[in-house]
Amino acid sequence: MIRLRGVTKRFRDGAREVAVLRGVDLDVAPGELVAIVGPSGSGKSTLLHVAGALDRDFEGEAVVAGTALGGLDDAARAELRNRAVGFVFQSFNLLPALSALENVMLPGILRRPGPDGRIAEIRARARDALLRVGLADRAEAPPSRLSGGERQRVALARALLSRPAVLLADEPTGNLDAASGADVIRLFSELARGGVSVLVVTHEERVSDAATRVLRLSDGRLG
Amino acid sequence: MAGARGILWLAGAALRADRRGAAVNAVAACVGAAALVLFLALGLGVGAAARRLFPADARLVEVVPARVSLGGVLGGGRLDDDAVARLRALPGAAAAWPRLPLGVPVSASEPAGGLGGRWPSGLALQLPLVGVDPALVADDVAPGAFADPPPGEPIPIVLARRLVEVYDRTLAPAWNLRRLPPGVSLVGVELPVRIGHSIVAGASEARVAPERLRLAGLSDRVPLYAVAVPIETVRRLHREYGKGEPAYGQVTVLAARPEDVPSLAAAVRRMGFSVDEGERATAERVATIVKVTTGALVLLAVTMCGLAALAIAQALSASVRGRARELAVLQALGAAPADVRRIVLAEGAAIGLAGGLAGALLARGLAALGDAAAARLLPDLPFRPESFFLFPPWLLALGVAVPVLAAIAGALGPAAAAARIDPARTLA
Ligand SMILES: Nc1ncnc2c1ncn2[C@@H]1O[C@H](COP(=O)(O)OP(=O)(O)O)[C@@H](O)[C@H]1O
Ligand SMILES: [Mg+2]
Repeated sequence: MIRLRGVTKRFRDGAREVAVLRGVDLDVAPGELVAIVGPSGSGKSTLLHVAGALDRDFEGEAVVAGTALGGLDDAARAELRNRAVGFVFQSFNLLPALSALENVMLPGILRRPGPDGRIAEIRARARDALLRVGLADRAEAPPSRLSGGERQRVALARALLSRPAVLLADEPTGNLDAASGADVIRLFSELARGGVSVLVVTHEERVSDAATRVLRLSDGRLG
Repeated sequence: MAGARGILWLAGAALRADRRGAAVNAVAACVGAAALVLFLALGLGVGAAARRLFPADARLVEVVPARVSLGGVLGGGRLDDDAVARLRALPGAAAAWPRLPLGVPVSASEPAGGLGGRWPSGLALQLPLVGVDPALVADDVAPGAFADPPPGEPIPIVLARRLVEVYDRTLAPAWNLRRLPPGVSLVGVELPVRIGHSIVAGASEARVAPERLRLAGLSDRVPLYAVAVPIETVRRLHREYGKGEPAYGQVTVLAARPEDVPSLAAAVRRMGFSVDEGERATAERVATIVKVTTGALVLLAVTMCGLAALAIAQALSASVRGRARELAVLQALGAAPADVRRIVLAEGAAIGLAGGLAGALLARGLAALGDAAAARLLPDLPFRPESFFLFPPWLLALGVAVPVLAAIAGALGPAAAAARIDPARTLA
């Protein structure tokens, strides 16, 4: 579940202050797949970072997976991201030195108070997650040997390892061909049907077609 | 914060990703650690050898008659019982033990019992005997074993511990004699001598009596080239041979504390006596040379560790810049800034640890090589140590700890930079 109320985000650009978000209200219920569209530079990524507890200074109210973000310290926000939020990016953002499986293990490795004694268990869960996205046979491959579609599915498996309540995707199909993009969108829909709150930023019609709701971000406001 | 195992897993993954860079930095740390351990081990080893060569007791002041004798005028001069009493009464003095050289010649012309060997035929040795206070060697002999014996009993003697080594390395090989077993196993050995006999023609006494000398112990407090006997024995022999009451040759004053030695020495000089600085001055000079040299080399090694730390700092900060995006991804997946900092610190520590362990091993190996080379190239001199290096456990621990700490210090800056990465901006 995501709930934003009156979220305003300003960036300081030298002496000038620019408000990228101006009082955004947004609700994404469990089971919903909400698409946000808008031109480049309209603040879509910024909105996603606020909703994902990656951004620390904004005005307004944000509640993610039942936790109010206001007043959380760095460690608490990190823990919230780790347990409740899955991120998927346009450029995949896999760690190149790790295998697909190790990339998927990362949220488990970063689990607090720690993965002590559970590395083997994390590995097993990571294999399950790869199986869910249809990549069980590519577990040991480094990202450089995967196709774009495969990479994005590894990134999705990584986002799902902690069974997050919220999935945030920033232009997830932007670097994919039509077929791979369709695969990824299908997986998003499945997740939403499974009760996850899915928020996808996109400017592609094929994504918004799959969404339960489409919102447009312009002039820092959602409509 | 993520658990320690998670941090180490991630640091290990980062190091594996750049094995070459990690290895280069570990080699730098290894060289610094090896130099540090090797130089300190050398300083310790040479220092120990020097202390064996000059076992100067920091609390002893050797008082000898004034070289230019104004003694009579100043009330000093002759080292007699009165002078000993006044020396003992000086502030800071704990004890004063006179030394009385025997004025009767003593010679040996047979080997010591039990040691065998081929005594060169016709060889007679003149033995310089000196009477010492039993309290001087109380720590080195069995209680009561060093006293003027009743008639018929052998005279107990104490030899300089170093004399055994000198004998083993010079006299024994030269004369084809057996080397002496080390340490206390020699105690009890007896040497037949002739009291009153001199190898110099005409210098013998009218009365020559056979006697036996019996080794009661080895000490660092007796002169190197003299045989120490109880001072009472010397007095008795002087009486028996009508030698009157000769003055003491030397008085050993024991200071209560090493710090008292300078003022005590000054007071002794004011009494009109000289202080024999010979051995102690040499010992102090050698100790100072060893310390200064070791200090300079350790400074060099620490500088090398510092350079390794700089190399690690430079490499890690380039690495952190290069993987800002990866570190931001880790934050998105649940790493706090503190976790990112600890990952980079762990990378530095791991590099330092690997380098330190390798360096400590390398130092041991180089020391073994050095000792082997010394054994082949140097003649078998007295006091040549088995090893020129000492490796106490704390030194090996230090050899690992210093590069680890240096590497962590080098990683502090890059780690702080990593923790400052703003994931929202980096991933936008
Ligand atoms: N860290 C930042 N500092 C200053 N300006 C920023 C920062 N991040 C984003 N912006 C600005 O905010 C606006 C919105 O950016 P973003 O949210 O990335 O847009 P979108 O994802 O819709 O393309 C842009 O004008 C961008 O330049
Ligand atoms: Mg964007």
